[in-house]
Amino acid sequence: MIRKFIILLLIVFPFKAFALIEVDITRGNLNPLPIAVSPLAIDEKSKKNFENILQIEDIGYEISNIVENNLKTSGLFNPLNKDAFLQAPDIANLKPRFEDWNLIKAQALITGKVNLVDEKLRVEFRLWDVLAAKEMMALAFTTVPNNWRRVGHIISDKVYERLTGEKGYFDTRIIYVAEEGPKTQRIKKLAIMDQDGFNNKFLTLGNELVLTPRFNPTSQMVTYLSYFKNMPRVYLLDIETGTQEVVGDFPGMTFAPRFSPDGKKIIMSFAKDGKSDIFTMDLENRIVERITNHPSIDTSPSYSPDGKYITFNSDRSGYQQIYIMNSDGTDIKRISFGNGLYGTPVWSPRGDLIAFTKLHKGKFYIGVMRTDGSGERLLTENYYQEAPSWSPNGRVLIFYRETKTNAKGEGFSAKLWSIDLTGYNERKIKTPTDASDPSWSSLLSN
Amino acid sequence: MNRSLIISSVLHLSLIFITAMSLPFLAKKPLDIPPIVSVELIQIAEKTNIPFAPKAKKTIEEVKEKEKKLVSEQAPPKKVEKTKTKTVVTPDQNNKKIENQKPDAIPLPEKTIKKIKTKEEKKQNPDKIDTKVKQVSEFEKKDLIDELEIAALIDKKKKDSAKVVKKNNDVTQDQDRSVENTGLTLSEEDALKAQIFGCWSVPLGLPYNEDLLVRIKLKLKPDGSVIKTEILDHARMNKPGQGFYKVLAESALRALKLCQPLRVPSTGYERWKELQFNFDAKEMLGG
Amino acid sequence: MRLNKIFKNTLLILTACLVLSACATKQQEVSTEIKGQMQGDVYTGTDTVKYLADGVPDRVFFATNESILTTASRETLRAQAAWLRQNSSINVVLEGHADERGTREYNLALGERRANAAKDYLMTYGISSDRITVLSYGKERPVDSGSNPLAWSKNRRSVTVKAN
Repeated sequence: MIRKFIILLLIVFPFKAFALIEVDITRGNLNPLPIAVSPLAIDEKSKKNFENILQIEDIGYEISNIVENNLKTSGLFNPLNKDAFLQAPDIANLKPRFEDWNLIKAQALITGKVNLVDEKLRVEFRLWDVLAAKEMMALAFTTVPNNWRRVGHIISDKVYERLTGEKGYFDTRIIYVAEEGPKTQRIKKLAIMDQDGFNNKFLTLGNELVLTPRFNPTSQMVTYLSYFKNMPRVYLLDIETGTQEVVGDFPGMTFAPRFSPDGKKIIMSFAKDGKSDIFTMDLENRIVERITNHPSIDTSPSYSPDGKYITFNSDRSGYQQIYIMNSDGTDIKRISFGNGLYGTPVWSPRGDLIAFTKLHKGKFYIGVMRTDGSGERLLTENYYQEAPSWSPNGRVLIFYRETKTNAKGEGFSAKLWSIDLTGYNERKIKTPTDASDPSWSSLLSN
Repeated sequence: MNRSLIISSVLHLSLIFITAMSLPFLAKKPLDIPPIVSVELIQIAEKTNIPFAPKAKKTIEEVKEKEKKLVSEQAPPKKVEKTKTKTVVTPDQNNKKIENQKPDAIPLPEKTIKKIKTKEEKKQNPDKIDTKVKQVSEFEKKDLIDELEIAALIDKKKKDSAKVVKKNNDVTQDQDRSVENTGLTLSEEDALKAQIFGCWSVPLGLPYNEDLLVRIKLKLKPDGSVIKTEILDHARMNKPGQGFYKVLAESALRALKLCQPLRVPSTGYERWKELQFNFDAKEMLGG
Repeated sequence: MRLNKIFKNTLLILTACLVLSACATKQQEVSTEIKGQMQGDVYTGTDTVKYLADGVPDRVFFATNESILTTASRETLRAQAAWLRQNSSINVVLEGHADERGTREYNLALGERRANAAKDYLMTYGISSDRITVLSYGKERPVDSGSNPLAWSKNRRSVTVKAN
């Protein structure tokens, strides 16, 4: 590659250089960008008012902490230690002294201020390019005070988008299965929380087993598997109203549900007589359509973001492998050919990759491959982990992992983890209980 | 019992034997790695241009030929003067030598190049020229250029005969380009690249299936600090659906700012007072 | 000439097989010695087994990723069929399970397939499908929470449970 490149360079160089010497820069570093998040300024009066309303001492500081934490966990930014800041936060309306920020090696700077205006929280913030000494972005939000955490997430998204060129994923939520109790009698509940683990809420009581919740594109509805009355069926839950209903009227187990990208259909597996096939149900007219028909197990279907294709898991070759087909079930092609078993394919929201779980020689891997099966990359290896779900920008995967709590392999703990496509930035996401089967919502605001 | 023991040990021995046999192969393998090209290239001194790889050379020659035609057809008298003032000229005695050389010859160092002691000569440190390229052009010249025509264009003040001047002209024209070609030597370029590599934080979110090339023109001070930057495809910044391009361009600008002063060569400011950087994130993100 | 070549090739393949199998068999010997309660990787012990009636075990076990009934399993199911014929008022639920070494959704399907293998066998012995309900738990309800081959073998099972 390098050799080719040099030859190419030699060919092109002399003639292009007729006017000017050219230097080709094809490499850079992937070091996180040093960024200074100055605490948002707040006047004494507003500060007191917020203290009364929210019981938070300094909301400006707290919001900037959310931003800082988000940017840090993305792995793309390196928020600098606030102790090193030379300028106080009360410069929100002024142009920063860029030399000062340059001195602590910040390349970008976030400043802003918080007010209470008509009982509402008003946040202004600016993003500065320290090296170019210019403003990159200035925005203001107004919302009810209780939404203050979301403001922090929205600012993070805006900054992320402005500096990386793709949408962020911070103003999002995770739905997952909260787990408690011994493995043989595990109690499972649906739970929802902010992407950073805050605002955790349980959605079911744990009376029956629930599995594999997944958001619809607007993040208002969830489809999941419930063992209500010992009949494992796919259900639909409205998060706002809490209403639940069973999806379709199948004479057997339905499982592995997901929404279509337009949110109008649910695609799932239906198991009968030892074979599992893929079906869709239209949520408006309730029409059920068969997609696959094969004596093997066909499960874990996932649509491409344009809705034209479906990737799914099948053992028609004898073992679990990943396939793709047209959304009407025609033109079925196997795409996974590596050693081991492949499961849980999930199409990236960008459309270019499929994430999967791979089992090989007693290890579980989370990986991605292109939609034709080429370019397989394993991001993380562990004793047991599965069920990746994409962040809405297609950069980060959330999954769950079980680890043994003692050497005998008796106790165990299940937690949510995230990893980005580079495979380096792996993080545990804190949850109040054990957790599994995460599903990432879309961006709540745009 | 005994029999199975014997069989087992025989089989195991054979296995060990096979393994042992295959071991030297494994050991040898790393040695078979093809030599890295850059080693070849970097050997070539601080100042000279690098010989072109055979394949590249061919292509270059072809292109040169085409270019030559254009240049010779268009070359106005003014250009002659310009070239004279600019750079190195090879004296006539040497030209014959050059002509006698085979086109395939490996570029010779200084021997064939001499400064002409004319008044116009201003540059004290002319860059050495890749003689091979020169030769090639010399070659072509014969077929392509009507000597008289060129001679007629030449400044009469010159002591040298028309023919010689013409030849000089050819050479200088070519050299002119060569000088620019030479630009930075590989080691100089490497130093500069290495520096920028360290400064450029590639925005990881860029869509890697898009064109991710940003070309930036720089004006530099002799100490390597940047006077002016100009993004060459500026129009693309504001095109719909190309938002990522702005992000990319900004990251490149940040890299240049962060790297100031650039590690430029200590001499030859004229050569590099203007530089163009082509930032391409494709390899980083796509590969 | 050609025959010679074929002969040579066969010999080569044979030696290769022998060389390899020499290692393989040895390993297997060791592992089965340790387990004792497993044949291949199908559980043959009785630790977790309950009885529907005297001499009628309630469960059958499977190999990894398989839903094929072993000889012992078929024997168990024949006993169950006989018992069901005698007690015609009893309906049963066949609960299919998988071990934890698989993805959740696939294991749900696998559990269903295992329970159905048992159901089909019962039906060939004259038990009406109306009396049998199939329920898969995938890997959600292991009987042994350990993470070792023996525990997994106990968990790969289809359990016949009285429904009324």
